[in-house]
This record gives sequence, structure tokens and C-alpha cells, in this order.
Amino acid sequence: MTPTPVGGWLHLRNPTVKLVVVFVVSFVNLFLFDLRALGLLYAAAVVGVLACRAVSLRTLLLGHLPFLVFGIGLVAVNWMTRPENGLAIGAALALRGLVIGVLSIAFIATTPPRDLMVSLVQHARLSPRFAYPLLAGHRMLQTMPARWGTIRTAQAVRAPRGRNGRVRFGAKEFGQAAFALLVGSIRASEQIALALESRGLRAGPRTIHRPVPLTAPDWVLAVVAVCTFTALVALPGALS
Amino acid sequence: MLRRDEERAALPLRDIVLMVVLGVTFGFLYWVLVQAWNALAVAMGPAGDLAQHVLFGGWLLVAPLAIAIIRRPGVGIIAEILASVVEVVFLGSPVGPTLVIAAAVQGFGSELAFALGRYRRFGWGTYALSGLLGAGLVFFYSAFRSGWYGQNIFWLRFAMQCASGVVLGGLLGKVLVDALRATGVLANFNISRDDTPAEVVRRER
Repeated sequence: MTPTPVGGWLHLRNPTVKLVVVFVVSFVNLFLFDLRALGLLYAAAVVGVLACRAVSLRTLLLGHLPFLVFGIGLVAVNWMTRPENGLAIGAALALRGLVIGVLSIAFIATTPPRDLMVSLVQHARLSPRFAYPLLAGHRMLQTMPARWGTIRTAQAVRAPRGRNGRVRFGAKEFGQAAFALLVGSIRASEQIALALESRGLRAGPRTIHRPVPLTAPDWVLAVVAVCTFTALVALPGALS
Repeated sequence: MLRRDEERAALPLRDIVLMVVLGVTFGFLYWVLVQAWNALAVAMGPAGDLAQHVLFGGWLLVAPLAIAIIRRPGVGIIAEILASVVEVVFLGSPVGPTLVIAAAVQGFGSELAFALGRYRRFGWGTYALSGLLGAGLVFFYSAFRSGWYGQNIFWLRFAMQCASGVVLGGLLGKVLVDALRATGVLANFNISRDDTPAEVVRRER
């Protein structure tokens, strides 16, 4: 189920390091209002992500769509609801979203969930009692569209039809299908817990199959990312 | 079933898996809703930004459900954090990893109401307060993150979010918990600890 890493320097980096970098940058981002710094950060993020061949240009452009739509809304709302400089604040907020968005897209595209969880257990002391249920949850999520389809089909068999002959799917139908899904999931959760317990997840220390390496290039990534980020944030202030 | 000394022990695996599964299921359902929602939000333009508060309470549901079913301190916060991990890592939420902070604040708010009742009171009022605090506390973090301070619709946003929290993040939680309990699917969880076992009806053939 785990996608094999294909090419790309970023694909080979340690997931915990990547997560920490994205988290730190995203968090500090929340305190930035300088449009020039945010613009530089965004440009650097795009160039970095493309240079590392983390995602294709096409994927990156498509990934931008929700942020652009959201960003236009942000600019419009701030322009309308703020007495002064609403446009600048709106643009800063939209740019923030873009910076975080580009990094998140790159992170998700280059990090298989299994490697992230194993790495968090190895390098961030995450308890396997949380890591393995999360991975089981990931599997469950993958099968969920199919289960949703089954429930909807089963309900459609008995459903009254609308005027156009189609089966209605409104709020009530959504609620019914959602509840059926929830009940089925909770029932499955007990079985998953039993299965995990029977594999000894309750007992003490564990060994790890296919451990995720933490090597020198990972530290290079962390240092380069943090230094670039600090430099770009400080640059506009230093110039003026 | 569970004795005092056991209550202090680590969370049973069954409860951890339940919290993850709640996060996964609600994550998926939001995803289904968002498909329908996005088209509407784009059509509404700037009003779509305000409309997010109407549905906000729905994001809180995982915490009251987890607390009501598992009945142990802290599970509301843990459940919200696990749900945010599902959102970020598995579903690729555009908010990014800082979503975990918002989730922890939400979980803390939702949990506060149940903690005040010492995890013994599960009436409509407790759920409503849970939704109110869950939505109300995280509002100030979201307002900082999204730059709502200084907008002249600040308090309108706050009121909408709190109302949504009470209805969708609180009262709906009680409805769901009661309905789930009636299905019998929670029979092995702490919520059913004190229930008298259902009478087995034997039919003579």
C-alpha cells in the first residue's frame, strides 16, 4: 500500500524533519504581515519545491486553485470590512495561505503516511499505540469511498424517487448515510483494536520493520530551510 | 467493569482506535460535504468567507463523542488532535500542520464543559456548553490566524460561530451519542459500563 518513493531529493528526506520544518515555517508565517517578505517566501517555496522535483508543475498549479479562490475571498472581505489598509492585509493573508499551501502540497506529495508514522515513532517518541491505530485509520480511509458507495446504493434501492425519476440526495439522505457509515466504522474499530492487540501492541518495546533513516542530508535540509526562511523574512527590513 | 486503579492506567487500545476511527469517519464526511460546499462557496463569493462560521460547529463533534463514549479525562483533546492528524497527513488539509494547534484548543474547549461536570453529567446543557466553549475559545486563535481582528464584522463572526458551536458541535453530539447507544454498537465501551444488560428474549420455536 505504501507508495514507493520515485526520484526527487525531497522524497528521500526524513518525514519527521520535513514535518517539523513545515510546521515551524507555517507557524512563524502567522506573525508576518510584510507583503515583500511573504512574496519572497512564496517565490522561494515554489522554486525550492520544483528544484527538488517534489511535485510536477501541473500538480503544483492545480493545487493552487483552492488557495487562489480562498485568497480572492480573503482580499475582498478585508477590503470591504476594514476601514483602512484592508487590501494590504487581505493580500498578506492570501499570500500566507499560498506559502503554507505550497509547502503542505510538497510535504504530502513526498511523504508516504507509513514512513511518517514509523519515523515519528523512531525520532519523535510517538507511542506505537497511537501510530499503528493511525495507520489502520489510513487504510480505513482508503476503503471509505467504496463503503460510502455501498451504503448509498443500498439506500437508493428503497428510496422514493423525485419528480425527475432520480433518487434524491439531500440533507436527510446525507444524514442517514453518514450515520450508517459511523455505526459501521465504530463496529470495525473494535475489530481493529482486537487485531492490533493480538499482534502484541499492548506489550513493551518493539522492533521496527523497514526503519526510516535519519541521515546527514536531512540535517542539511533542516538547516538550509531555516536559514533561508530567516534570511528572507529579515531581508526587506534590512534593505529599507 | 473498570475499577478506580484501572482508570489511571494508560488508555486501552480499543479507545485509541475508536478515537482514530471517529477522526477518520468525520474527516471523510467533511470531505464529502466540502465537495458540495466548495461550489456554493465560490458562488457566494466574499459571503462564503462568512458562511464558514455557520458550519463551524460540525468540526467539534469528535471531542464530545469521544468523551461521552470513553468517559475519561483528556480524551476530548486527544481525539481532536488525532482527527487533525488524519486531516493533515491523510486528507491533505490546506491549513497545514498548524491545524494541530487549533484542534488542541478546540478539544480543550469542548472538554472543559465535561470536566466541570466531573465527567458525570451528560445532559443537554453540558453538551451545549461544550459546543459553546469549543467554538468560542478557538475563535480567538482563528481570528489571530486569519486576521479577523479589526474587521467591523468581528463580533458577527463570533456570534455566528458560537451559535453554530452550540447547535452543531454540542446538541447534535448528544443526538448522535444517544442514537449510537440505541444501536448497541457502544456496548463494550465505558458509556455502557453501568447499563443493566439487556434482557435476552428467547423465542420458543
